[in-house]
Amino acid sequence: MVFSRGIFLFAYLPAVLLIYYLVPRKARNIFLFFANLVFYGWGEPIMVLLMLVSIVINYIGGYFVEKFKPDKGKAKIPLVLTIIADIGILAFFKYIGLLISTLNLLPFLNLPIIEVSLPIGISFYTFQTMSYVIDVYRDDAPVSKSLINFGTYVALFPQLIAGPIVRYKDVSEQIQHRTETLEQFNKGVKLFLVGLAKKVIIADQMGAMWSNMLATTSPNGILGNWVGITGYTLQIYFDFSGYSDMACGLGNMLGFEFLKNFNYPYISKSITEFWRRWHISLSTWFREYVYIPLGGNRKGVPRQIINLLIVWFCTGLWHGASYNFILWGMYYGIILIIEKFVLRKLLDKLPSAIQHLYTIFIFMLGWVIFYFEDMGEMGSFIVSLFTLENGIISQQALTITLHNLPLIIVAIIASTPLGATLYNKVKDRNYIWILESVYTLAVMIIVVAAIINQSYSPFLYFRF
Amino acid sequence: MKNKLKYLPTFLFLAFVFVLSALFIVLPKSEYSSSEKRYLEKFPETNFETIVNGKFESGFESYLADHFPFRNAWVGINAYYNYSIGNNGNDGVYICKDNYLINEPVSEDNRIENNAQAIADFSKNVDVPVTVTIAPSTGYVMNNVLPAVHDSYNDDKMFETIMFQLYKENSGTISFVDLRDAFKKEAEKGTQLYYRTDHHWTTEGAYTAYKELCNKLNIKATPKNEFDIENYKGFYGTTYSTSGFWLTPADDIQVWNNKNNSEKNITVTITEGDESKTYHNLYFLNHLKEDDKYPVFLDGNHAVVNIKNKNIKDGKVLIVKDSFCHSLAPFLADNFNTVTMVDMRYYKNSISDMVKEGNYDQVLFVYGIDNLATDSDLVWIK
Repeated sequence: MVFSRGIFLFAYLPAVLLIYYLVPRKARNIFLFFANLVFYGWGEPIMVLLMLVSIVINYIGGYFVEKFKPDKGKAKIPLVLTIIADIGILAFFKYIGLLISTLNLLPFLNLPIIEVSLPIGISFYTFQTMSYVIDVYRDDAPVSKSLINFGTYVALFPQLIAGPIVRYKDVSEQIQHRTETLEQFNKGVKLFLVGLAKKVIIADQMGAMWSNMLATTSPNGILGNWVGITGYTLQIYFDFSGYSDMACGLGNMLGFEFLKNFNYPYISKSITEFWRRWHISLSTWFREYVYIPLGGNRKGVPRQIINLLIVWFCTGLWHGASYNFILWGMYYGIILIIEKFVLRKLLDKLPSAIQHLYTIFIFMLGWVIFYFEDMGEMGSFIVSLFTLENGIISQQALTITLHNLPLIIVAIIASTPLGATLYNKVKDRNYIWILESVYTLAVMIIVVAAIINQSYSPFLYFRF
Repeated sequence: MKNKLKYLPTFLFLAFVFVLSALFIVLPKSEYSSSEKRYLEKFPETNFETIVNGKFESGFESYLADHFPFRNAWVGINAYYNYSIGNNGNDGVYICKDNYLINEPVSEDNRIENNAQAIADFSKNVDVPVTVTIAPSTGYVMNNVLPAVHDSYNDDKMFETIMFQLYKENSGTISFVDLRDAFKKEAEKGTQLYYRTDHHWTTEGAYTAYKELCNKLNIKATPKNEFDIENYKGFYGTTYSTSGFWLTPADDIQVWNNKNNSEKNITVTITEGDESKTYHNLYFLNHLKEDDKYPVFLDGNHAVVNIKNKNIKDGKVLIVKDSFCHSLAPFLADNFNTVTMVDMRYYKNSISDMVKEGNYDQVLFVYGIDNLATDSDLVWIK
């Protein structure tokens, strides 16, 4: 199920909120556990079984890690076995196709292709379950005594299918004891509405513009393609961060507090900064569970470079089972290494406008790599961004651009903290409830109108 | 008080969600959507199998979307919202000056060449003259009402393609009636050639095409003053229903009755499969009471419609057509003893056999340019 659909807003959400607050506090986790399964299984109920298997494996793994913990060496056995099982499941369901087609490139091999459909959100919840056994092993979090509580954590519907990746240690306390307050609920509704507006009002429209630009019958010209990739750049940020906002908001409505996943990444002055602001929960996960265990920067520069490349290879691969994602990860790995050892000092001396332009250029080019799974198409698109052979902008591309220009401008402004700054200035005024009420109604009306009008909109970060 | 008011936005959000959900449950469900001209989704079959294979879930989502409270109002809000942010034509229809709702141009990547080729090939299979006439698109003719930002209408290019295909291998048996100049001239005079809320030409537009056609065929067009023109109000057409611009005023639909025609001389036979029905009128006024009023012209889409006019001694014309012809054919009935319209979407047998067996002395093709560019049935003509 997806948040920006009628089925969620007008069937699932009201039902869950109503029952959640009607049942006694003790029963809320049990109810949430089953509500999560309905959310996850909607449309593909069979996948619930896989998730249940994953929950049970990690619950048992955690149990034995805890049991053997006095002897760290012994506790490592269930830890490693659980991690192997987690990665094995992820690898089988997500990467088996890529693996076989890669192996078949060898002249003497001709393995049969295995068709597996990718379970929704598997990359997200696998990373969550792994964080559990590792946190327990490291004594960062207590073992979960209750299978229901643990299952509620893994399958928690707000962040189940598109993050943020909530580490067990950050919510273990909340899973067991949390007190829902009106204040927090209120905050959650606001955050949810911000996310909903980002997704439906901006991201979907920018996505439509990008696909219209790709579908034109004649070449768009250099400016046309830059407008197109601007649309995709805006789409992916508003789509993904909107989803995270909705997740955090829904979490608040149920009494949870999740960490921020996006912090205005597009205002960064370097790629290093960009990755501190983009999909924070994923970078944190890789830092804590991969980079630091590999030795981080403590074993000398050559080893640090290797560690960074490993992390960025994995980050790329995590985003999808296709070579362009690996390329995308390595692209960032290499740029980050260059920034760290060479460019950083030079960049700091440049005017900040140049630093912004440099960063924007790098991440936009990054999204081109991210978008095109076909290397040939990627190559010709990149060439088209730098050559004038197809002119400045075609008639069709100009029409598409002009139709979307007001929203592009709004989206660019909305990707900076300007709105939040203005809001913070007036949020304690007496009349703020008027503005907020108008905003609430406007967002709901526009969103419902858009949902009813299209009643179908696939989510970008859905199948990762 | 002030403290309570700060929860108003949350209250509004919850009220919005809960009230609409409750209304969805309690409001009666309609079976048919007249603005979309389709039956709405029924409640999905609910059992273990449909839930496991996902049919229940997808069915329920469609059911929810189809029966959502005030559904048409939401579609309208969405249309005007997109228009207000500068995205005119978001759903494929431009809102234009003088309350015109005009379809976006068809994609340049279309079937016009193949379809024109199919007509050219067909003309070689029959021994009688073939005449082709194509209605230009509303956007092309009415370009002065289009919004400042719009995709370009490539009618000129498509007309050139059609003529090239028709003439390249044929000598004399096929002719093309190019309506572009006549339509542009009439439009400049302020004649309403197209509906504002529908993609078809008006009766006046059809009459303009009829005059051009008569010129080419060397027959005398019935002068305009021989018709009793009746105006009927309240016509909302296809561009209205697809666009969601509900505030657009309705069109008038005109019925032009030739004073010489009556029940005595006119016979209309409508054939659908093995069934035939006979009428004695060219205009089906009962449809003017329905939501969809365009079938006032010869009862709408049918496989074969045959018009006989006893007042005219001879002349048999067979027309392969789309719905643009429905308002044109009544005019032609004044010049031919028999006018037969065939719709390739519903009629799957050989047209050339029909020409031979029925002793037709000419064949006409009448299509709207957008239909001709997207039609996938015409290529099967034989």
